[in-house]
Amino acid sequence: MMSATAVLILMTALFLGFGYMGVPVVFALMAGVLLASAFTPISMQSLVGQLFHGIDSETLLAVPFFLLVGELMASSDVAVRMIRLSQTLVGHLRGGLAQVVTLFSMFFAGISGSSVADVAVLSRTIARDMSREGYDRAFTAALIASASTMANLIPPSIMAVVYGATGNVSIGGLFLAGVVPGVLIGIGLMIYSYFWGPAGVMKKRAGLTEVLVAARGSALPLVIPVIIMGGILTGWFTPTEAGMAAAVYILVVLIPALNRGHVRELPRDFMYAGLLYSLPLAAVAGASAFGWMVAFLRGPDIVAGYITSLAGTNGTMIMFLLVCVFVIVGDFIDAVPAIIIFMPIINKLTEVGQINPLHMGAVIITTLVFGLITPPYGLSLLVASKYVGIGFGKAVVRSLPLYAVFFATIAFVVAFPDIVLWLPKQFLPESVGCFKSPTGAGFICP
Amino acid sequence: MADYRALILQRHRQLKWKSLDWLEATLMVLCGVCISMFTLGVFFDVVTRTIGAPWLWLQQVTTAFFAWGVFLGMAAATRRNDHFYLTEITKRMTGAPRTAIEITNRIIVLVVAVLLIWCGTQNALLDLGSFRMPSLVPLAVYTGIVPIAGVLILLFTVEQLVCGWQHRFEGPEDRDDSREAVE
Repeated sequence: MMSATAVLILMTALFLGFGYMGVPVVFALMAGVLLASAFTPISMQSLVGQLFHGIDSETLLAVPFFLLVGELMASSDVAVRMIRLSQTLVGHLRGGLAQVVTLFSMFFAGISGSSVADVAVLSRTIARDMSREGYDRAFTAALIASASTMANLIPPSIMAVVYGATGNVSIGGLFLAGVVPGVLIGIGLMIYSYFWGPAGVMKKRAGLTEVLVAARGSALPLVIPVIIMGGILTGWFTPTEAGMAAAVYILVVLIPALNRGHVRELPRDFMYAGLLYSLPLAAVAGASAFGWMVAFLRGPDIVAGYITSLAGTNGTMIMFLLVCVFVIVGDFIDAVPAIIIFMPIINKLTEVGQINPLHMGAVIITTLVFGLITPPYGLSLLVASKYVGIGFGKAVVRSLPLYAVFFATIAFVVAFPDIVLWLPKQFLPESVGCFKSPTGAGFICP
Repeated sequence: MADYRALILQRHRQLKWKSLDWLEATLMVLCGVCISMFTLGVFFDVVTRTIGAPWLWLQQVTTAFFAWGVFLGMAAATRRNDHFYLTEITKRMTGAPRTAIEITNRIIVLVVAVLLIWCGTQNALLDLGSFRMPSLVPLAVYTGIVPIAGVLILLFTVEQLVCGWQHRFEGPEDRDDSREAVE
């Protein structure tokens, strides 16, 4: 019988080897774990059972809803109204269209939990205008991809749903904890575009009337974040139900009101959304079997042992080392399977370093969204470069300066937990570990 | 007829048998049905709870459609080559090396599909004796989709292996992709 460490290494090597040979991620995960199980007392039958149990969770139902919302918004062209609003607000600044991309992504992040939907909307609309105004295509792809990462930080976020469901952390709390890093990335990208990005064509500042007309045009779409976060914070909806409510709102109110002709296309939208949600969740199924095996082989103890030998029980050092690990992991693996595979290790280290689980979640998710724009597996950048029509290599080179924004944000999230957790503390105190005061007035927080 | 064809992805057409197009279209429709049904399920769950008469079995219907949708989508994505890939290294290759790697990759998928069928069937048979409360629906109703997805994945992988062997794995879209990649 091989040692646990050897089986862990074999399993990981098989997954990465198969993955980089071109086997789809879900099958590479399954093949790695099933073949490695031959060297353990675990039966293949129980691992195949784990594939099903990995997705048999009501919480994960939120994922398809947030993807459906993104798909409906993207395909019905309703999002264009939000682009117009962004143009009236920041289009006059230096690098106007670059500013519009970032501001629109902030708005859209509050509606959809999918970075890819954001990339699709921007690439189909504003990327062409950027080309006409002389922005180089590599910068356009790099900026769209970088801005789209906010969709996984500003609520609703699919990564937060998966993290919360597998790590037993409050999803509402994770949503709120993602706001600060999301906004910081947005501000960072706007500052970069203003000072160091292409200037574009300078435009006149929009008048108040124009702003009001554009705001009126996008008022209906901007109700969606209110439905989602309002529903969750008031306790009316679970995240899954909030996603459903947003989807129903788009179907019943938004599309009939703003793009009636799109009603005929809805069956097609549902079919594609049905296929689209199965892709990350199939990866969740494979990754949960993989993560289960990692836990069985005492992987968390082994990795936690390595990390604590370097960091001791210092929470900040542990998080710093985990950030290093996840920057590398995010380069090679999609965020969703990464969260599930590494969750037992994250939980162990959260306990060792006495870190607030919500803070740890914010740090890990912020680090993993960075992986969406780093080679070789930067999904957002891959999709953006494909849509914009530029080579991935060129887009990567143009992304390099933007990495500074992400590093600064990650460092901020690690160093200032009080600021990151301020919103959850105000609106969902229990999610941060606060409990009701015995006197009945307010909460007592650790 | 035209609508049914519109659901078939035309990329990598050389790796598909026309005779299985109806199956891809059916799976796409089923994906749409699954997401529609669990949207309705969650909707009625909220409505019935709000009016104080919750239908407890709704959650079980919802999770069943959800799980079936995931595994049916996994099978459909296999035929459409829509899965997530860590890299698409083979697209930049041609000739014998490309054929060798493409065949190896599909044999790996084939092995996984066989294990899904074999182990999934054993699990489903065991699950005939386990029931979900409160509706007492056998758990096999849920887990039965695993071997079904295995059969579909096996079928589509064999289709790609045979077609790839006959017509080569390279397609016109690969040339576009690799030109973009080296640009």
